[in-house]
Amino acid sequence: MKEKEKPFTFRGKFFVLLVFAAYIVLFFFNSHIALLALQKSGRVVLKILPIFAVVIVFTALLNYALQPKQLVKHLGEESGAKGWLVALFTGVISHGPMYAWYPMIEDLRSHGLRDGLIVVFFYSRAIKLPLLPLMIDYFGVSFTLVLSFYVLIGALLQGWIFEQLERKQGR
Amino acid sequence: MNEQKSKNVKQQKKPSLQQALKKSSLAFWAITPMLIGVIGLVGLFQVLVTPRMLASLFRGNALFDTLIGTLAGATASGNPVVSYLLGGELMKQGISLYAVTAFILSWVTLGFIHLPVEAEVLGFRFTLYRNILAFVFTMIIAVLTSLTVQALA
Repeated sequence: MKEKEKPFTFRGKFFVLLVFAAYIVLFFFNSHIALLALQKSGRVVLKILPIFAVVIVFTALLNYALQPKQLVKHLGEESGAKGWLVALFTGVISHGPMYAWYPMIEDLRSHGLRDGLIVVFFYSRAIKLPLLPLMIDYFGVSFTLVLSFYVLIGALLQGWIFEQLERKQGR
Repeated sequence: MNEQKSKNVKQQKKPSLQQALKKSSLAFWAITPMLIGVIGLVGLFQVLVTPRMLASLFRGNALFDTLIGTLAGATASGNPVVSYLLGGELMKQGISLYAVTAFILSWVTLGFIHLPVEAEVLGFRFTLYRNILAFVFTMIIAVLTSLTVQALA
């Protein structure tokens, strides 16, 4: 079946206008804080631009390397235990803010990615590999190990519960 | 002939790397207004919701503080390192490990600021269920982690 191309449209125009309006209002009340917030936002943009680039390239590579059928096999309904493990692993190694990954998740979802695996991916992101030494320094080894263990179990349970909820609703 | 036909179909289906890159760039470009909106909100929250403000919400009651920790972490935004620093400071001030764990966990798993974008991209029902589950599990994990660490100590 040929995939229908959606016409290109910008999404979230109303949302961005609301945020813009909030800045304008804040600027009239306290221009210093508004400029500071703008500066902070600018810093966030600079920091996550490389992550956006990685996500775009990664999405393209996935689309190039994996056919929809293969993707369904690895991350769709038939994926089984492998799918859960892939979601868990990619969640742990993924970097940057959650919203940077939305376009890739949306794309994979349109090709058959299970919703339960998205839930697992998002929650397992609580484990930040590069920050583990810092966490150990602040809270100790046992805290870090115990928390990481419960996060992994909790992520899997959430994915499973989510799918049960979807099944109950016949989706 | 049939083999040739199926080969052609296969070839038609597989996009070139350039096409795949164009497609993913366009998909990303389409949600740029949403991302700009979220980043704008992150800047606003980082300025308006200060760490001191968040720390002042805790009252010293373990159960109440766990709930507050989860809500505060979900409201805050920024690098997770900040949540560790703030969590460490909160513990020095005598705030329970339950609350601090909930705080650093919800900082990365929940985000009130991202909700509109998540709902737009992944759907309202998905966003609602995922966030409710993440909220409940953050509190459960915070309690379990604290209890286990205390038991191990």
